[in-house]
Amino acid sequence: MAAIAAERYTGASIKRSEDPRILTGAGRYVDDIKLPGMLHAAFVRSPMAHARVVSVDASASRALPGVAAVLTGAELEEMTVPGPDALMALMGWAGPTPQFTLLATDKVRFAGDPVAVVIAESRYVAEDGCELVEVEYDQLPPVTNASFALDPGSPPLFANLGDNIARPHSRREFGDVAATFAAADRVFDFRIGVHRHQNVPMEGRGCIASYDTGSGVLTVYAATQSVHVTKVAVAMRLGMEGDKVRVVAGDIGGSFGLKIGASREELAVAAASRALGQPVKWVEDRGENLTASGQAREESFDVRAAVSDAGDLLGLDVKMVIDTGAYPGMGAMVPGIVEEMFPGPYQLAALGFESTAVTTNKASYVAYRGPWASETFVRERVLDLIAKDLGLDPLEIRLRNVAPRTDPPAVMVTGRPLVGVTTKESLERIAQLVDLPAFRRRQAEARAQGRYLGIGAATFIEAAPGPRSPEGPDGPMGNESMRLRLEDDGIVALFTGQMPHGQSHQTTLAQIAADEFGVPFEQVRVVVGDTDVVPFGLTGGSRSATMTGGVALHGARQLKAKVLDFASHLMEASARDLEITDGQVWVRGDPATAIPVGEVARRAASGQFGADVDADLEVVAAFDGGEAGWSGGTHCAIVEVDVETGIVTVERYVVAEDCGALINPAVVEGQIRGGVAQGIGAVLLERSAYDEDGNCQSATFMDYLVPTACDVPRIEIEHIETVALDADVNFRGVGEGGMIVAPPTVVNAIEDALSPFGVRIYEQHLPPARILELVSSP
Amino acid sequence: MDITLRVNGTAREGSPEARKTLADFLREDLSLTGTHLGCEHGVCGACTVIVDGRAVRSCLMLAVQAAGREVTTIEGLAMKGASEGGMGRRAGGGELGALQQAMWDSHSFQCGFCTPGMVMQAVAFLSDHPDADEQQIREALSGNICRCTGYQSIIDGVLLAAERNRER
Repeated sequence: MAAIAAERYTGASIKRSEDPRILTGAGRYVDDIKLPGMLHAAFVRSPMAHARVVSVDASASRALPGVAAVLTGAELEEMTVPGPDALMALMGWAGPTPQFTLLATDKVRFAGDPVAVVIAESRYVAEDGCELVEVEYDQLPPVTNASFALDPGSPPLFANLGDNIARPHSRREFGDVAATFAAADRVFDFRIGVHRHQNVPMEGRGCIASYDTGSGVLTVYAATQSVHVTKVAVAMRLGMEGDKVRVVAGDIGGSFGLKIGASREELAVAAASRALGQPVKWVEDRGENLTASGQAREESFDVRAAVSDAGDLLGLDVKMVIDTGAYPGMGAMVPGIVEEMFPGPYQLAALGFESTAVTTNKASYVAYRGPWASETFVRERVLDLIAKDLGLDPLEIRLRNVAPRTDPPAVMVTGRPLVGVTTKESLERIAQLVDLPAFRRRQAEARAQGRYLGIGAATFIEAAPGPRSPEGPDGPMGNESMRLRLEDDGIVALFTGQMPHGQSHQTTLAQIAADEFGVPFEQVRVVVGDTDVVPFGLTGGSRSATMTGGVALHGARQLKAKVLDFASHLMEASARDLEITDGQVWVRGDPATAIPVGEVARRAASGQFGADVDADLEVVAAFDGGEAGWSGGTHCAIVEVDVETGIVTVERYVVAEDCGALINPAVVEGQIRGGVAQGIGAVLLERSAYDEDGNCQSATFMDYLVPTACDVPRIEIEHIETVALDADVNFRGVGEGGMIVAPPTVVNAIEDALSPFGVRIYEQHLPPARILELVSSP
Repeated sequence: MDITLRVNGTAREGSPEARKTLADFLREDLSLTGTHLGCEHGVCGACTVIVDGRAVRSCLMLAVQAAGREVTTIEGLAMKGASEGGMGRRAGGGELGALQQAMWDSHSFQCGFCTPGMVMQAVAFLSDHPDADEQQIREALSGNICRCTGYQSIIDGVLLAAERNRER
């Protein structure tokens, strides 16, 4: 052996190990699984937004050949355990807790609310069976907007609550709000809204539940962001012991926050399988996905801003109302995060924040990529509105107000330190990348020709996982754990509770572990998606880069130490003199001593060493986030608005972003671009629309428009050199930032383009029809 | 109804119900689950397959309409396993595996759900338009929705495949 060279993978755009199967149609998504004796479920859904269920007659459906069973809400209620939403319970929700059943019993609460489930030999027959279920409804006045929901006279969706308040009104003040406003030169008032839109992963929700009557074990093949959270939800609602529920997942066709835990439909399918003793599959169709899977945002903000004549944003006073739709979910918890994040990277002296969450007869709130994103939208919109009044350019007002990097770091008025935040640097980099004076000249020339160009910028910070606190980072559910094992064939196996659904963890975690342990990338296997073998975990909240990347690094280090300890017995050398390089254990400096790690593992497994030698080459590692840190940056868009058609074209989109040390730049940039595309969609195309009776108007892809390859421009990305906070782990999450900051970036650019018309924008959804309205009556 | 058709070069028979879509027939009756269903109303393109040389949406075509035709699915483009070093070479040779290789090299995809339809659409388009430029490729793929990537990496993969094809 001439030399042992180490290849370093971390930081390189290593090609994804997921791709060979995905590119050949060999991915295994939940709908690809076929089990012997498997039945298919379809749901009877309410055509009305709000109604009493008078009767459900399933006799004709049950008589249809091929229908195995029809379960009504009342029948399912007897098979399951009442209780709160499992995810909210896990997150410690202590507010109003509505009582509801998996399938509607007393009443339906949105158009699409499941009322009964038909189980049949095929999905075709199951849907035939749904047509034959007769449901009699007694219509109630629908509560379809937040202002009616806030009216104590509105009919309560949930009898046990008595009103439609999902989170009672609260107000908190940070800093001296009254004094800050009293001292301001100017006070601005704005009302800004964010419309309802939704995740729309290309694969909808779905599961197969398979109950084994002999063992009493229920296996759920799920599309989920966490097999363990799904398991908790199933066990809770079906009243089963945890060890009798196993949740398995394979490839997942996107989620963006939608697939956490188990939905009411999935729990109903699990209960049906247990009742029938047969596997039952349900995969939602696009109509169900758009109308019933869940929706996000729909928030309104009354904002007062205290400002100096020079353009210093001194304080904000914000009243937020969020419309969380029908059934309880994360929506009631969102205002707390919005409040904490509202100052962003800026130096506010004071913040007043009050909020209320309401329940309405629309699809339930679900998490969608950056659930608190409206704080960025509103703040970045307000900054531009103020800048226009004061005659400042958009980068100038931001540079003026952004907190400088100091030691000790500036602290957000709501409490968290802005440690390592490089917003100022990102603004300066954007100014270099986009020559603003040159753009203004081009803009003026274009206007002279009747063309309307605009530029917009916005900044954000993303707690990914956020700054260090004594208890560790505040990311969802705390520490991350991982089991790592050196297998007999030399494979380093990582067992993680992460449940990748596009994030490329099978590649990125292997990069980190390969470097730290000292094996080729191909020799690391990342095992996910089986509650019987992986530890607790959740993919979400931008936590995996730091938390799971960190535990992969520290875990691989611990495993390596253990392997070297064992090898020291084998090789009769001190562990301190041993090294693992390129899959070989060797005495440093003497390549002739090299032994493949697989050989070491086989010797460990041989049992030839006594009890005093630890030959179990496995560790369980945990990571608390280390020094953690923020992601963040500045985005800038240049748009052209056609004032004849209302069509907005994004001409250029530039990102200056700091997400710490990059594990795999191509993966990072894919996350940023994908988020930006969703943000562009939110502004120009997407809206979950309801009419005044509560009928969903966006139930197909011809009504709910998502961006295509012609709508999203090339996105230029610059990585800002990060401030290293931790000795080892400076990777930070990047999954949500694009979606958080792209909407204000694009809206700011549109307003700039339309400034000759005196347009001021206080909303996020700007399809062509709305652009034309703004141009004609600004 | 009894039908005979060729799928990925092999004669196949089946007896689908008249109302069964080609997509469901491929997935359920022939166990070719590489073809995905993203909307079942012809908008998202995830179910795109090639029928007699043209890209079609298998959710909008009935299985019985495919009788007597030649259908190619993503499985028909299958590369040899990466472990054999065969990534990028199609069993029969040719440029199709080259597209998949270029997409791998370009980090084209994330969750992979839209991938089979996107690949089939791009394969059909490139075979007719080997010199297509970026805007033409964007338009050709604009009927295939990807929710993860923002498309740039996919477009780059198609451009790379076209460039490599020209260099050969």
